[in-house]
Formats: sequence, structure tokens, C-alpha cells
Amino acid sequence: MAASAARVAVALRTNIGRPVAFVRKIPWTAASSELREHFAQFGHVRKCTVPFTGFHKGMGWIHFSSEEELHNALQQENHIIDGVKLHVQPQKPKALQGDQTSDEEKDF
Amino acid sequence: YVLLSHLHFSVRLSPGLLGLLSQARLHSIAAEKKNYLQEEPTSSHRRNASQFDWALMRLDNSVRRTGRIPKTLLQKVFDNTCHSGSPGGNQALLLLRSCGSLLPELKLSERTEFAHKIWDELQKLGTVYDVSHYNALLKVYLQNDHKFSPTDFLARMEKGNIQPNRVTYQRLIAAYCNMGDIEGASTILGFMKTKDLPVTEAVFSALVTGHARSGDMENAENILTVMKEAGIEPGPDTYLALLNAYAEKGDIDHVKQTLEKVEKSDLYLMDRDLLQIILSFSKAGYPQYVPEILEKITYERRYIPDTMNLILLLVTEKLEDTALQILLACPISRESSQNDFGSFFLRHCVTMNTPAEKLKDYCKKLKEAQLHTSPLQFTLQCALVAQKLDLAKVLMKALKEEGFPIRTHYFWPLLVGHQKEKNVQGIVEVLKGMHEIGVTPDQETYVNYVFPCFDSIKSVRAVLQENGCPHDDNVFSQAELRSKAVNGNLDYILSFLVDLAGVNFYCVCSNLLLLLQCTHFLSYQITELLYKDGRYCQEPPGPTEAVGYFLYNLIDSMSDSEVQAKEERLRQYFHQLKEMNVKIPENIYRGIRNLLDSYHVPELIKDVNILVEREKTDSRKPSSSDLESKLEKLKAENQPIGDILKQLIVMLCSEENMQKALELKAKYESDMVVGGYAALINLCCRHDNAEDALNLKREFDRLDSSAVLDTGKYVRLVKVLGKHGKLQDAINILKEMKEKDVPVKDATVLSFFHILNGAALRGETETVKQLHEAIVTLGLAKPSTALSSPLVTLYLEKDDLPAALESTIDCYEKYKILPRIHDVLCKLIEKGETELIQKAMDFVSQEQGEMTMLYDLFFAFLQTGNYKEAKKIIETPGIRARPTRLQWFCDRCIANNQVETLEKLVELTQKLFECDRDQLYYSLLKLYKVNDDWQKADAVWNKMQEENIIPREKTLRLLAEILRNNNQEVPFDVPELWYEEEKDCPTSLPSPVEVNLQQGLLNACHRRRNKGKHAFNIFLTAKKQNIVFDNETYARLINLLLMKDNSTQAMQVKDFAETHIKGFTLNDAANSLLIITQVRRDYLKDALTTLKTALDLDQIPSRLAVTRLIQACALKGDTESIHDIQKLVNGLEDSIGLSRMVFINNIALAQIKNNNIDVAIESIENMLTSENQTVDPQYFGLAYLFRKVIEGQLEPALKKISIMAERLANQFAVYKPVTDLFLQLVDSGKVNDARALLQRCGAIAEQMPILLVFCIRNCQRPGKAPVMKSLLELIPELIDKEEAYTCLMKSYVFDNDVTSAKALYESLTAKNVKLNDLFLKRYAVLLKNAGESVPFTEPPESFEFYAKQLKESKETHL
Repeated sequence: MAASAARVAVALRTNIGRPVAFVRKIPWTAASSELREHFAQFGHVRKCTVPFTGFHKGMGWIHFSSEEELHNALQQENHIIDGVKLHVQPQKPKALQGDQTSDEEKDF
Repeated sequence: YVLLSHLHFSVRLSPGLLGLLSQARLHSIAAEKKNYLQEEPTSSHRRNASQFDWALMRLDNSVRRTGRIPKTLLQKVFDNTCHSGSPGGNQALLLLRSCGSLLPELKLSERTEFAHKIWDELQKLGTVYDVSHYNALLKVYLQNDHKFSPTDFLARMEKGNIQPNRVTYQRLIAAYCNMGDIEGASTILGFMKTKDLPVTEAVFSALVTGHARSGDMENAENILTVMKEAGIEPGPDTYLALLNAYAEKGDIDHVKQTLEKVEKSDLYLMDRDLLQIILSFSKAGYPQYVPEILEKITYERRYIPDTMNLILLLVTEKLEDTALQILLACPISRESSQNDFGSFFLRHCVTMNTPAEKLKDYCKKLKEAQLHTSPLQFTLQCALVAQKLDLAKVLMKALKEEGFPIRTHYFWPLLVGHQKEKNVQGIVEVLKGMHEIGVTPDQETYVNYVFPCFDSIKSVRAVLQENGCPHDDNVFSQAELRSKAVNGNLDYILSFLVDLAGVNFYCVCSNLLLLLQCTHFLSYQITELLYKDGRYCQEPPGPTEAVGYFLYNLIDSMSDSEVQAKEERLRQYFHQLKEMNVKIPENIYRGIRNLLDSYHVPELIKDVNILVEREKTDSRKPSSSDLESKLEKLKAENQPIGDILKQLIVMLCSEENMQKALELKAKYESDMVVGGYAALINLCCRHDNAEDALNLKREFDRLDSSAVLDTGKYVRLVKVLGKHGKLQDAINILKEMKEKDVPVKDATVLSFFHILNGAALRGETETVKQLHEAIVTLGLAKPSTALSSPLVTLYLEKDDLPAALESTIDCYEKYKILPRIHDVLCKLIEKGETELIQKAMDFVSQEQGEMTMLYDLFFAFLQTGNYKEAKKIIETPGIRARPTRLQWFCDRCIANNQVETLEKLVELTQKLFECDRDQLYYSLLKLYKVNDDWQKADAVWNKMQEENIIPREKTLRLLAEILRNNNQEVPFDVPELWYEEEKDCPTSLPSPVEVNLQQGLLNACHRRRNKGKHAFNIFLTAKKQNIVFDNETYARLINLLLMKDNSTQAMQVKDFAETHIKGFTLNDAANSLLIITQVRRDYLKDALTTLKTALDLDQIPSRLAVTRLIQACALKGDTESIHDIQKLVNGLEDSIGLSRMVFINNIALAQIKNNNIDVAIESIENMLTSENQTVDPQYFGLAYLFRKVIEGQLEPALKKISIMAERLANQFAVYKPVTDLFLQLVDSGKVNDARALLQRCGAIAEQMPILLVFCIRNCQRPGKAPVMKSLLELIPELIDKEEAYTCLMKSYVFDNDVTSAKALYESLTAKNVKLNDLFLKRYAVLLKNAGESVPFTEPPESFEFYAKQLKESKETHL
């Protein structure tokens, strides 16, 4: 537990200024609105991206507005949507590519 | 005596074994269940493996996990193989073998068709077929019930000049028998007899089938008697043939009787065999008997893939109800919510167009049986993937009834298919379907999937209305707007901007970002508009804030690879903004800097920096640095001498002068510092001087009880003290290590092992026990098998077996490890200590499971030559291959040259589940190669065919090598040979058109104009006319294109050449260029592949290419790739001209980029302080690392590196790193930091050779005058060196710095230094160019003259 907390802390440090959660294993039945709905319980979701080309690839990015909110989300053990457990981790700087839809807010 | 004891032994063990065996089975089933859904640990394999290994692994994994190969995967591997241009014989074999029963999702006829396609295609590409390929094709025919004429087949082989072998005849007999043609089979049998080939069980089994299918059951049954008379016992294969024969006739009674008979014998039918019987019943139209056979299936975990295979086959054969029956009988764990075992069945049903209503029913049953958590959703997904709208609609309605929401994006997969084909009607159908289900299309649906199909958005509206698809007008207009932005319609957006100005800046900004993001269009027009048009920024912060914020968001919205790819454009963009006098606030600049840093594009930071609004602050405080005086002088003046004393001692230590060093210490004892003691202690340890080492350590503690030695010194102390019987002192040192938290690395643990092992071999029981105990209880090292093995070695050396076993067991009880269990077991078996063996085995199986115990016992029996016992063990039902353990034993056999043992291992594991046969045969061949035994190697080739094994390329190569070394013919195709022969073949004469075009192309290449456009156009023209040039021409064109950075076109040419010229490959230079281009474009994976390809071709890539690739990986933090490259070029470093430092620097940099600063530092420090250094500390240059860390402003890393460098200097007298760091600080203008470092570590100023090399390198580049000036200020002594002042002058001349040049000249003349002519000549020219007078006579000759003169004079001095 302590070790995982430490890992989270290290990961957070490397992502200062970018409180983004990288989500994997999203079931195909869910899209960005389902994700946004789920993650809203941890804080204000600034942006939620799930790249699609017909199907999505099971990956998405949740941009929170603060580190704390991201931390809240990462602290939670189980994230379940449509009966499927998501994998949530702090984002390592990584590409967001392809034809993507995002419900980015218009008033950031 | 030995034999007797074995007999006694096997009797004693057998009853126990039986029990163990059944337990072992349960155990292994449980273990498999756990692992089933986890992914295979393949990543590291994949990278190192060649193309073939990759293909084999993919196919093999697929078979192991699912019992089959999906057609798409086989197609992909096939395409890849063709694309590689040179499919080898074993690749062909692999592909052919896959076309039989491993493709249950394909109809039998389609499978054979696929096999023929592969056969013909590969033959066209030049694959040479040998007997193994024909045999594989035969097997495919048999598995696919393909009707063919065996005599034609033989004729074909004959035409191809291929001799059939025993395996060929066996399979031809089977082919006749499958058709019920006994006469045909007899003919072949006759051939075999004339050739004196042995008739095996396989032939008799075929004859059983043959008689049965010809309607003669009586004779089918009689075959078994005939066999026995011929001296061959009917095995499982024969009984299976008989059982299938009964099943095909629907004779359940005889099937049951026969099964009972088999059960009573000592034969064992596997689940796989029973599944065959089920298939026979089902296909013959007797599904009613399936349940009776299902009852007999044990459902051993390892047969699940076979069961899956059968289920799919039944679905393919439209026997899906039977398939479901079998599926529902599968004992899959139903608890785990993750377990959706039934998926493969549902997916295949969708593919095979099982009726929708039937599928709905299956979903219900699977859910009830808990074989799937969400079967409807899954089936829907399959329907969507397969673009089956009607099925999807039925399933969505069913889901809706269950209360599951139907979401808009469910329709996207259907739309995307039509969108690709611009199929308007299809799109309309889906939209209608959406309406039917009650789902309204949203913005995304329109923008991403509907609009792209139409020419204009207007026409979309029209078509939708026409077809009665209702749409929400609001959503539609929003979509339209968005679509404009996505398409980068700048004019539209600009007008939109002007219209909306002042309404909401951020709203506009968001649209702009979308525009920029989608089009990657960096328009300074937009930025300018924002900056200059007052309407957007009426709020107090003003334009600076707004633009800064905009830029931040722009970069934030791009991904790292995008920023990397667009680096140059962004740079231009920033400079454009600079020209427009756009400024951004410093705090936002810092934000952007952090972003760029996190994207690994720190190179761009300086370009953003120019936009920052601020005054330049540069605080340079001039200060003087002091020089240290010599030891005596200081002493005489009563000054502190600690530092200089330490330096002296360190130097003596490095000269190994223990005597003198100890004397010096005695003389100046009161002035000794910690560092001096450390060096001395180490020296004494090295000289095995325990007494002095211990005393020094005590003095050291008195001086500063908190001081800490480095790990190596502590370990050496422990070793020396232990060796000299000072056990308590050694333990005290260990305790201190713990108390002071001394870092313990892998190397340290290894040292501990050597200390213990040494003591064990000397028989020092107490030393081993007590030191081990202390190390482990203190927690300095984990009690690993290796670390604890000396505890057992102690007794093995003394031949005290009970104590050895006791010690091993004791280790298990304490630490859960079993050191040297294999050696203990072997000795026990050799001595016939049955009771102790029983004890050992009971213990192992109880503690580590039966499987481990079985392997332990298996290896021990093999090792001691008890093959019968070994065979019994490895045939235990439920036992499966453990590759690492098998490899361990193989390697052991090879190392000890145990031919017979290894042969037995390979023989006995033939039927072992999941056993990598090729790998075992490869090991065997390795051993044969050691012994140069070609006959045995040749026999391996035959055995592999019979076992239907696909040899990997490395296996074939090894085999060929052994045969060739012994002047034997190689009976198969080895790719490398083939290409060499190919070169000598004269090609047909080219036509005049071809010659002209080719000449034109070469000329165009020569002229190198237009970025190679002209040359490329000629290539395209020729391509259209299907004209193929020669190797050389393509190579030239590719080189040209690469040099002009046209890698896309270069790849196009390469692909064409590869597919049209057999064996076309890029040469060294082209591959190197390609790597450089790929690195520049940030295609690192491709670059790595290119490097691999080049190395596989035995090319030597250029140093620049390899270095660039490594550096790029490092900047990405990709440590793994760097390690891969290191492995790839291993042994070629010298030919490439690659220094080990390139790896060391870049691995460290990558680790730092990954925030593993401590790991990076630790490993560097380790390399510099370990006893077996691979790089001389003098040449251990870390300048690159330091520069990157400084440039990247990686402050925490810089701080730690600095500490490391100083520690290395102060404690180990390794001055190269600290000097390099100092120089890099100077070089990057961090003069204050450099000065502080110099003050802390005065020895830097004494590293003249390093400093001079720096000067010489720097003076060859322009713009370095300020750096050189700073360096001279910091280290004024430099001016005394001729090399240094020559460089300084050169630098000043380069930069036209007359003032500094004058100052230099004056200070030198003031010192009466005799200046050489080259120096004077330079200075004179500088002055003249600046219009100043020359205060001396300018040397009359040319630069070259004086340079040469200077060089010669130096050479004569030497």
C-alpha cells in the first residue's frame, strides 16, 4: 500500500502541471460520456478523450483540473464501468493520436 | 550393488509415486487455471528473435492458447513472409503446417486452397522445397480430407528431383486408406519393403482405417493381431483408429467396449483422442452419442485448446448445437467475473452466419451457465466488427429489452465501414437503423462518419431528408461548424473570429486550438490577430498574457510525438512571432518550458525563450581562486595539510605502495582525514593485511565515528577479516554496514557469495555459517539460492550427505529456498540412499509442489543414468514443459559435454505437453557441434520431420554448419547460400528502353538536383511500364533520396526493389542513412528494425547512425531499446567505432529521463569503482551526459551527478568525471557553478590532459571564445601550456576577438614565453584584418608551413 502510494507520488511529480489519468481496458460499450460521468466523482473533469476509429482502442485520458483530483481518482482501488474493471494510472507523457473525439469544454 | 539398489528403489517408490502423480495432476491444473488468461511473457523474446522466430512464436502462442490459428493471423504471417522477399525453407514449412487442423474456422476445402496458395506463391519467390515440405503438404491433405492421387504426388516429387522418405510413404499409405483404397496402400507398402524401410505403428493404424472405410470391419480388427505377430504392440494411435472406425458407423457399443479394453490395459487415451471420437460421431450424423463420450473426458487443462478447436470446427461444419453441448460441458471456472470463455464460440457463430434467433438463445444459455458475463454485448460487438447490420439490430433490441442502454457510438463501427467505401446507401441504412432503435446521431457521428462520405454538407441534408432520416437541426449545425474547423478552413474560421470578436475570447480560442490540432497548421496569422487586434484582449492582462496563454494551450494540446515531429515548424513559428515582436510573460514561458521538457524536446526551449519579456540578468562576480601549496611548505608554515596529505596517500595507494603509505600515515597521524584512511584500508585489504586493515578501521572510527566507507571497501574488509579468522570483527563490519545504511548492490551480493563459497571450499564451517547468518539476519542480502549454496557445499565437499540434505532442508525452513538440491539428489541416487531420497522428495513435493519435485527427480535420474526411472517420471499425466528448467538442464549438459544424458532428455520429452521441441533439438545440435558429430546431427534432421517439427532458422543454420564442416551435402535449403549462387546467374539482356531509363535515372542521381525529384519520377515511369532496373540503380536512387531526406519515397523504391529483385537489400551506407533519417523523423522503432536488418546482413552500420539512434532513444528515456542496441552490436563495437561510453552515457541519460536518477548514478559509480573495470577511468568520459543534463535543466539530476563526481574524486581519486562536469558547466556558461565546483575540488585544475583536450576540441569550432576565456579565468595556470594558449589564440581569431587576443599576447610576453611562429602568424593576421598594426615582424610563410613545422618539431622531440 505504502509502496503504491509512493509510486503514485513519484508519478505525480513527473507530471506536474498535467493532472491527467490514463485509462486502459475501457469496455467497448462505454465512450467518453460514460467515462466523464464516472470520473466526475473525483473532481472537475476538464477534458476527457477517447480516440475512436469505429471502435475505440480501450484507452482514454481524463484531464483533471488539479493534482489533488487526479490523486483522488488514483487512490480509488476499483473503477468499474459496465461491469468491467478499468485500469487507471497517471499519464506518462504519451501520444494522443488518430481520429479522436473529445468533449473538451468550450470555456476552458 | 548399484543396480540392485535401483531395483529396490523403484519398488519402494512406485506406490508413493502413483499417489504423487495424481496429486501432481491436480496441482498443475490449478496452476494452469491461474495463468490461463494472463498474457504470455513474450516481449523480450520478440525483440531478439528473427522474423521467423517472430512468426513461429505468434502462431505457436495462438495454438497453445486457443488450439488454433485464426486465418487473419496466418494471412498476416504469410504476407510478412512474402514481403520479407526471401522466405526461407523453414518459414515455408511453418506456413504449410498451419494449413491443416489448426484452421478450424475455415472449411476443409478453403484450408487446402490456402496451402496451395502458399505453396505456389513461395515457390515463385524462390523458396526451394525439400522432402520435409512435401511431407508437410501430405499431412495437410490428410488433415483436410483432401482427395488427391498419391501416384501423381509421387510423380510430382520425382519431377522436382526429391527423394521420398519413410515419412512420405507412411503418409501416402494413410491417404489411400482414408479413401478406403487398400490396394493402393498395399502398393506403397511394397515400395517401402523394397527400400527396406521399417513398417511402424503409424502404417498399421492407417490400415485399420483403410479396412474400415472399405467396409471390412473384420479385417480392420484383425490388423491388431497382425501387428502383434509382427512384433509391434498396438498403441493409443491404433486403438484410436479403431474407435473412429466404429464411431463412423455409429457403433456405440463397440466404441464403449474398446474404450473399456484400453482402460484396462496400461495404455492411456488422452482427451484429444476422445475429442476425435466425438468428431467422428458428429460428422457421421450420430450426435446422440456425444454425451456418452463427453462423460469420459477428464478435461485436463491442457486439452482445453483442443476442445476449443473442436467446437469451432463443429460450428464451421454447421453442427453448432453439438458445439454448444461440448462448450457447456467445459469445466471452466465460473466464479471469476473476468472469465468470458464462451467468446470464441459466439464470435465464430457470428462469422458463420448462425441465425440471429439461435444466437440469442445461445447467449441466454451461456449466461445461465456462467460461461459469459455479457454474451449479448459481446455478440453485438462481433456483429459490428463483421458489419452485420441486421444481426446487430436484433441484438440491440434484445439488449434494450434487458434494460441496457444503446449508445450512439455502437453504430460507428457500422458507419466507418461504409465511410471508407463512400457508400451513401449504406450510411443511410445505418442512420435509419439508429432511428429504428431510437438513437439520435450526435455531432461526432455526423462530423466523423457521415460528412466524409458526401461532397458537401448541403447534400447530406438533402439526402437525409430524401430518405426520411430525421435529424436534430441544432446538432447538425454544430456539427457543420466543427467540420469546418476540422478541415482547416482558415478563411472560414478567420471570418468567424472577426464576427465573434469580443464575445468570448476563450471560446474562440478553443475553436482555434481545435483547428490547429486537427490540421497541424501553425498560422501566425491567427496569433497575430490575437495579439494585435485589441478586441480580443481588452481585459487588464493585455496581449502578452493572452498570446502566452494561447501558446501554452497550443503546445499543451499537442502530443509529445507531434511536437517532436513538428519541431522545426514550431521553431520557425516562434521565430516568426519574435519577428512580429510578440512577447510572452516569464511565468508562462516556464510553463511552456516544463511542457517541452516533459515532451523530451528541450531543444525548443531556447526558441521560446527568445519571446520572453524580461531584462537580461547576468551576474558574474569575478573572484580569485587559491592555489594549494605543497605538503611540507604548508607544514612548515603551520598550515593545515589534511587535504594535500590525503591526495598524497591516495596517490601512493594507487601505486600500491603500502609500506610508504603506512609510514606517511604514522608520521602525520594527527593530520589524517577520513578519505586518506579509506584509501589505506582498501590498500591493506588488497594486500591481504588483515591486522593493519583492522587497526586502520579502528582509527578511522575514532576520527569520525559517523564516517562511512563505500560498499566495496566494507566487503573487502569482511573478506580479509573472515579469511584470517577474525570472525567477530567481520561480523561487526557487517553490522556497521547495516547501521550506516551502506548501499548493497547486486555486485555486493555476489561478493558475499564468493566470500562464503571460498570459506566453504576451505571447509571453514563456522565462518560460513556465522557470516551467512549475519548477512541474512541483518538484511544486507536476501537469502537467495546462490547466496545460501555454500551452506550445502560445505557438506557436499566433505561427502557428508545426510548433513548436506539437512542443510538444504534447513535453508528451506528458514528461507524457503532449496540450494543445490540437484547435486544433493544426484549424490543420494549414486549412493543409493533410498531413505534420504524419499525424505528429500516428500519434503520437496510437500513444500514446492509435485511438479517441482517431479522435475528435480527427473533431472537427477537423467544425470545419474537411471533413464527408466526418468521416463516414468516425465510420463506422469498432467506434467507439462517448464522451459526454463529444461533449458537449465540442457545448458548444464552442454557445458559438461554429457551427450548421452542430453540425448535421453530429448528422447524422453517427446510427448511432454507444450515442449519446445526445436529448442531441445537445437541444444542437442549444439552439443553435436562441440563434438563435431555429423552423423548424429543428420539423424536429428530426420527425427524432426517425423515429429512434424518446424526447425527455426538458427537450428537449420547450425545443422548445415555441422554438415558442411564435415564435407557433407546439406539436404535442405540454407538461405545465405542461395543468394550467393543467385548472383552468378546471368540475367536476360535488358531492352533499349530499359537501358535508356536506367541511364537517365543514374544521371539524375548523379546531378542530385531537385531533391531527387527528377530521378524519382523516372523510377515511377519505369514502374508504370513494369521495367525493373538492376540492384545498383535502385541502391543509388535510394541513397540519393535518403540524403535529400525523402525517406517516404526512398522506402517506396526500396519496397519495389525488394519485391522485384530477389535478395535486394540496401547496402551499409544506405541502411545507415535510413537509420539517420528515421531517427530524425522520430520513427525510432523503424530505425531499430533497420539496424537489425543491417546487422542480420552482416553489414557494419556507420557510427553516426548508431549513435544518433542511441541518443534519440536516450532522450525518449527508452532504456530498453538502448540495451537492445547494445546486444545487437555486441562484438562489433570496434568495427563501428563505437565507444562503450556511448552506451554508458545514454543509458544513464535515459534512466535520468525516467526519473531513475539514483539507478543511473549507482551504476556509473559502480563501473568506476568496481574491481574489474571495463573502461579505464581516464577514458570514462561523461561529458555528453553532463551536457544533456545541464541543457535539459534537469536540476535534481545535476545536483546528484555533481555529488557523485565529487565523491568519486574525493574518495576514489577518480578525477575524470568531476573535470568533465566542470568543463561542461564552463561550456554552458554556468561559470559560477563551475567556480564553486573548483573550489570544492581543487584537483580539477591539475587534470591538465583533460583540460587540454577540451581546449583543442573547442578551438576548432567558432563561437567558443567566451568559453575559453572563462576557462582561463578559472584556471589561470592553463596559460603556461603551449597547447592551451595556442588554442586560446585560435579561438579568439575564429571569433575575431581582438581585445582578448591582445590581452593574451601581452600576458604571455610579460611572462617571457617564447611564442611559436604559428601563434604569431595567427595573431598578426587577426590584427591586420582588424586594421591594427602588428607589434612584431609577421612570420612571412603560410599557415600550412608553420603548422607543418610545428608538427615536425614536436615529432623530433618525442
